[in-house]
Amino acid sequence: MDITFHNVTHVYHPKTPFERTALDRINLRIRSGSFTSIIGHTGSGKSTLVQHINGLLRPTSGLITAGDLKIQAQKKKQDLKPLRRKIGLVFQYPEHQLFEETVIKDVCFGPMNFGVPSAEATKRAEECLSLVGLPSQFWHQSPFDLSGGQMRRVAIAGVLAVNPEVVILDEPTAGLDPSGRKEILNLFKKLHQEMNLTIIMVTHNMGDAATLSDEVVVMDSGRLVMSGTPEQIFSRDRELRKIGLDVPETMLFLDSLTDKFDQPRMTPVFSLKGTADRIAGLMNGGAADV
Amino acid sequence: MFNLVIGQYVPLDSVIHRMDPRSKLISVFMFVVIVFLANNWLTNVLLILFCLGGILTSKISPAFLFRGLRSILIIVLLTFFLNLFFTGGGPLLLHIGWVRIYQNGLIQSIFITNRILVIIVMTTLLTLTTSPMEITDGMETLLNPLKKIKVPVHEFALMMAISLRFIPTLLEETEKIIKAQAARGSDFTSGSLKSRMKAIVPLLVPLFVSAFKRAEDLAMAMEARGYHGDFGRTRLHKLVWKRRDTLLLLTMGLLTVALILARL
Ligand SMILES: Nc1ncnc2c1ncn2[C@@H]1O[C@H](COP(=O)(O)OP(=O)(O)O)[C@@H](O)[C@H]1O
Ligand SMILES: [Mg+2]
Repeated sequence: MDITFHNVTHVYHPKTPFERTALDRINLRIRSGSFTSIIGHTGSGKSTLVQHINGLLRPTSGLITAGDLKIQAQKKKQDLKPLRRKIGLVFQYPEHQLFEETVIKDVCFGPMNFGVPSAEATKRAEECLSLVGLPSQFWHQSPFDLSGGQMRRVAIAGVLAVNPEVVILDEPTAGLDPSGRKEILNLFKKLHQEMNLTIIMVTHNMGDAATLSDEVVVMDSGRLVMSGTPEQIFSRDRELRKIGLDVPETMLFLDSLTDKFDQPRMTPVFSLKGTADRIAGLMNGGAADV
Repeated sequence: MFNLVIGQYVPLDSVIHRMDPRSKLISVFMFVVIVFLANNWLTNVLLILFCLGGILTSKISPAFLFRGLRSILIIVLLTFFLNLFFTGGGPLLLHIGWVRIYQNGLIQSIFITNRILVIIVMTTLLTLTTSPMEITDGMETLLNPLKKIKVPVHEFALMMAISLRFIPTLLEETEKIIKAQAARGSDFTSGSLKSRMKAIVPLLVPLFVSAFKRAEDLAMAMEARGYHGDFGRTRLHKLVWKRRDTLLLLTMGLLTVALILARL
């Protein structure tokens, strides 16, 4: 389902000395089936933005649509369960939300809240735990006995078990070791490519944003400053640096290399293989294959 | 949860903010005592004027202050009506069914409510203009003489400082976990009482786990940086008593004298 933001503004603690505009007139369209990365400095409003998508936060003004569901500023109570069933959100450090006696029970929590019968929920929980790569010997242990990385997988499985169409990930790899990071990112890639889920990922890693996503959104001080394909976004490296962001390391590497060879800068590449091709081109013909 | 103003520090730059926490603590304490001197219209008006003066000097928006006080309005109203219905004396003003309101009752309830209100406003003003750290520092220094009779003043102050420091953190954490569970379809705000009680467990368990973990980390971090209790410990922020602090205490003295004279 498509997700759109129309002039969305969010103010925390309005009309108090703690008032703070976290989102400022955001307009955005996230296509169904896309992989969108949201990048921006800490405090730029990324988490606030994504929490609007499943109605955890309401806009102060403006409108968000997700499929045919609408979220807008209103006092009246609205049943948000249909929305939350379709849009899963994995918070930053999601392992902090675990509470059940066993891993499998914790993963069942989501589906059962949405009325899935217990047998079916258990089946889904087992599928999702295998999907995130947690060996079955851990399934009946207490989640608190697992390592941090394993707990994170359980938490992610807990969101996937609801069978959402859209998965939002708020800095999903924060605090993981490099191999854990890689595995988790591969999982999201698989979910996107094989199961056709729409993925929205908040990240600080420019390389991840560049290699995984087909759409990048850049936030700065509550405003949406750029959006486009990774190539479009990362070729505007000067503007990115101005707001405290960087470009992927492959680009940094190639830029310093072309400078050394006194060659003009090249169009961005993000993968290691692409980088190798460029270097080979440089060494063979001098001029880069632009 | 977040519209409760009591105990929330608002960092602004005003004379009251810059005063020594000790003078503010002593003054609020004095104020709470001398409020009971007020027994007629004049003295009550004096108290109100004093409060308004305090609010204006503090630069805190009165609207913000009073909005935050709304949550305790119910207690204030309850006191008002209890006194109104159950204090007799003077001419009968109103008689409906079993309700009899006498003139003295009405006046008494106004006075008592006013006392409660000014006390609340003043103590709130203290916490709005003084950071939790300053308050504990001030208390510790003021209570220092008690160390002579082996009262663990420093430890109490530390416990208080840590609790105050972590209240916002815990609230933030609570909000985050409520959201995380809500994203998994849990609902704290509707349904039967029983289902709501059940929805509390997924909230409380993670909160306790993280609070214990935090406490452990904090203890370890303090020990690693050489914390060894009160003995031989120096202060980063030395409290400095300035002329404005003496002036504040003098003002409090004046208010006391004025109240005593005016109640006659
Ligand atoms: N619950 C909250 N209450 C008040 N202010 C908040 C809250 N959450 C975030 N903010 C503020 O809103 C701004 C955006 O925060 P956030 O969306 O968390 O940014 P990011 O995820 O990009 O780091 C920040 O200035 C932050 O201090
Ligand atoms: Mg964030």
